[in-house]
Amino acid sequence: MGQSMIWYLREFARIEWIKKFLFAKTAPLVTPSHFRGFPEPTGKTCQHALFCMMSCPAPGAIEVVHAEDGWMPRISKGHCIRCGLCVEACPNGVLKSGRILETMERERTSLLFSFRIAIDLELCTGCGNCCTACPVNKVADAQMGAGGHSSNDEVIMRVQAGDIVVIHEDKCTGCKTCEVSCPTGAIRIARILEGFQQPVQEGSQ
Amino acid sequence: MTILQQIKNKVRARSIHVAYVDVGSCNGCDIEVLACLAPRYDIEQYGIFVHNNPREADVLLVIGAYTPGWEEKLAMVWEKIPPPKAAVAIGNCPISGCLFNRRESFVDPPVKKHIPIAAEVPGCPPRPTEILQAILLVRDAVFANWEGEHP
Repeated sequence: MGQSMIWYLREFARIEWIKKFLFAKTAPLVTPSHFRGFPEPTGKTCQHALFCMMSCPAPGAIEVVHAEDGWMPRISKGHCIRCGLCVEACPNGVLKSGRILETMERERTSLLFSFRIAIDLELCTGCGNCCTACPVNKVADAQMGAGGHSSNDEVIMRVQAGDIVVIHEDKCTGCKTCEVSCPTGAIRIARILEGFQQPVQEGSQ
Repeated sequence: MTILQQIKNKVRARSIHVAYVDVGSCNGCDIEVLACLAPRYDIEQYGIFVHNNPREADVLLVIGAYTPGWEEKLAMVWEKIPPPKAAVAIGNCPISGCLFNRRESFVDPPVKKHIPIAAEVPGCPPRPTEILQAILLVRDAVFANWEGEHP
């Protein structure tokens, strides 16, 4: 009993112990680099696909704005929830956050957007506003008139005999300009976000 | 500045009492504030003590998107804190309303409209390190030289 008390007193009187006791600090406040932070630009050129804005779950968190040369996504702190969906959805790898890009490469995963055009033919009046408003149509057929008639097969949709016909659904970029211009709300664009994982081939690795 | 004032400054910056108030959050940020208390981040090693009484607090942590139930009440809590005092907004909700700030919702962010906010910590939820850093910065900005600024 007496001996053990002396042992303890000697243990507590050691200078290292006293220093440790008085100046104890946990690890400094550093954030490891693999933590998902606010997305940062990687330096690659933004192609203005806007998939980051479409996949973002937080309102007002990401906007693609005009930078000095071309477009650039801008993250609003205070809105962004650091989920990393914009990093994954970007087809050009413009943003990075933590090790999301490395993980995607290793696991061969990708998020792909596709768009479906649904037209309610009972509501549609065949006015052709959607065809003329569509920015892809404008590039494909600059001659398209107010009625939405076109002899060009490269357009997404056109009016044929008073009815709207969707020709190239795969060209849709999901901008929803047609939804806004439709007077009866007949056209609806569904944005579909799918996650893919490519199988690892035999023999590789 | 007299020696007494210097001592007061030093002691004040070394003993921050924190009160937190949840004005309608999803509890995510509350959990992160709780993590600051745990040994991993150990908020008390900096002399910060969580004491949920506004009368004795120096720093008020505001968490949440300001639901209608807190109208008038949050300002009352803020007025009860004796100066020097500072309020820190924790998370996206008090800054922008985050996911709750949609049409037909009753929240009324930002909290800045209702009480003066000294620091904002963005994130959904913010990391305990970020919360700690914000409190430490507020301490240096508000409490470390209070006597010099208010003679």
